[in-house]
Amino acid sequence: MRLNLKLKVKFKEFPGYLNDWVHTFRGALTVVLLILMFLLPFGNQSPYVLGIFITFMIYTIFAASWDFLAGIVGQVSFGHAMFLGVSGYVTAYLIKYMSLPWWISLLFGAIIAVIFGLIVGVPALRLKGPYLALGTLSMSLIMYQLFLMGSMAIWWEGLFGTQLFGAEGVSGIPRLSPDPMVEYLITFIIMCLSLFVLTHLAKSNLGTIFKAIRDDETGTSASGINTTKYKIIAFMISSFFAGVGGALFVMHFRGVNPGIYQPLYSFYAIIIAALGGLTTISGSALGAFVFIFINEILKFVKDIPLIEHSPIGPLMEPLFIFSIFLILVIRFAEHGLLQPALERFKEVYDIILGR
Amino acid sequence: MGVLLEVKNLTKKYSGLTAVNDFSFEVNRGEFTGLIGPNGAGKTTLFNLISGFEKPNSGTIRFDGRDITGMKPHKIVNLGIARTFQLVRSFRFMTLLDNISVSCLSPRGKKLSKEYGIDESASSILGAVGLVDKARIPPIILPHGDLRKLQIGKALGTNPQLLLLDEPFSGLSHEEQRGITDLIVKLHDDGVTVFMTGHVLRELMNLVPRAIAMHQGKYITEGPPEEVARNKIVLEAYLGKGSEDLA
Repeated sequence: MRLNLKLKVKFKEFPGYLNDWVHTFRGALTVVLLILMFLLPFGNQSPYVLGIFITFMIYTIFAASWDFLAGIVGQVSFGHAMFLGVSGYVTAYLIKYMSLPWWISLLFGAIIAVIFGLIVGVPALRLKGPYLALGTLSMSLIMYQLFLMGSMAIWWEGLFGTQLFGAEGVSGIPRLSPDPMVEYLITFIIMCLSLFVLTHLAKSNLGTIFKAIRDDETGTSASGINTTKYKIIAFMISSFFAGVGGALFVMHFRGVNPGIYQPLYSFYAIIIAALGGLTTISGSALGAFVFIFINEILKFVKDIPLIEHSPIGPLMEPLFIFSIFLILVIRFAEHGLLQPALERFKEVYDIILGR
Repeated sequence: MGVLLEVKNLTKKYSGLTAVNDFSFEVNRGEFTGLIGPNGAGKTTLFNLISGFEKPNSGTIRFDGRDITGMKPHKIVNLGIARTFQLVRSFRFMTLLDNISVSCLSPRGKKLSKEYGIDESASSILGAVGLVDKARIPPIILPHGDLRKLQIGKALGTNPQLLLLDEPFSGLSHEEQRGITDLIVKLHDDGVTVFMTGHVLRELMNLVPRAIAMHQGKYITEGPPEEVARNKIVLEAYLGKGSEDLA
């Protein structure tokens, strides 16, 4: 009822509301960046550049879903890749063997990820703090081994006549669209929607309860809140968006194999969210941007013959460089890159406007 | 009137230690009762048992005619028992308004705040505890006295019938104590049943009409605080054996 009323008020005042928001510094910056990103494929149609941007947007969704769970609800998962993987496998299977359109498969993948999140969340959320991290980590490793098992592959093939388990995974998935520009724009819209929903959830009444659970779980139950229920809801929301990321991921890379369950992908989410700044959610976008582009630059640098054959050549591994980079960020910018970057930009903005 | 809270033969054992030993008492609707006892008497354990944070080994707790023994804390809160903690708890990184809003968002709190909305109810509670001018700041920078007030505000957000206050005065200056006392008296006048602990007798003496004494987990006596303070075992517990002459 009340939400309805609130929405109505917001809707009525929508132009004014938007107008006010755009005139704030954050609003203006967001709009400018979104317009630039929207215009990018009209200026540059190289599949390579668009591909990097698509990867960056997929990682943004994935990391934002992790940041929502860890930063807002305080439940640190080290096995977030399992949602990426479950949804990825479902999407790939539906597209390849059921010939469903991509958007139905994506929705199904995300919904199955939510159900999976519920099944995993109920036992996992009895664990607290480091034990939850360990529990989720081992669950993702179980999924990795399960999907790698040869006997599972034979069993599944005997039962359904299709290939799902096993080291090869499912390959040969078509992309969202053969045109990279269309793929870019669709991914862009999905990313904007995901970030919008997640940031607004964090600001809503539900978000207030989530933050209370993060700050003091005992105190929250003393305030009459069923913390278990809300933690499971949070787990499901997070796994939905991780699932959306997983579906896009599989479609973009045109296949999926058990490697998707590796802890590496879970750690990518953590690195990206930490780079952007925990609890910011939209910081994941900046984190993913930095992450993906440094990754690309490192690939490029590594291939320069002079460096490749020099003693520092083997040190140019992206993960190695990233670990150092992350340590520096944690040491010198403990709240991530987003807040300091925004502050610097705001100074410039104020100077330009003569404030 | 009528009995609101009825505790019968409640026992809680930790390995080798009986923190609450066969404890029975009643609190009537609208009453203002104190629970006194020296440090380590088992007052906080008793509160934890009533509010569901710990489960008793034996005995029953009835609230408003309903058996609540062993229920989950959030269920008990939604039946109408709210508590504060001896060591202050707050949601450190949220504004005071949001701190109170969490209680207003509980099923019981929602019923109360349905009419005016969560924010409005939360700020009216902040007003009632005297923190309305600090609504937009987080509790990490508040002085201790204000944190105690915030605790009471958080409890009020759930619209309690019975308010359990665990050492609401501990660590406060006289000035701050007076503020909290006024607040508690006002709440009681508004019809909330108050049950509070304290280990310093003087604080409770002037406040409550009836006190229950507890020592080493056992029920000692109850009555007007002056009478309780003259009880032999209570004196012994506070001052040591042979101290009746001193008092």
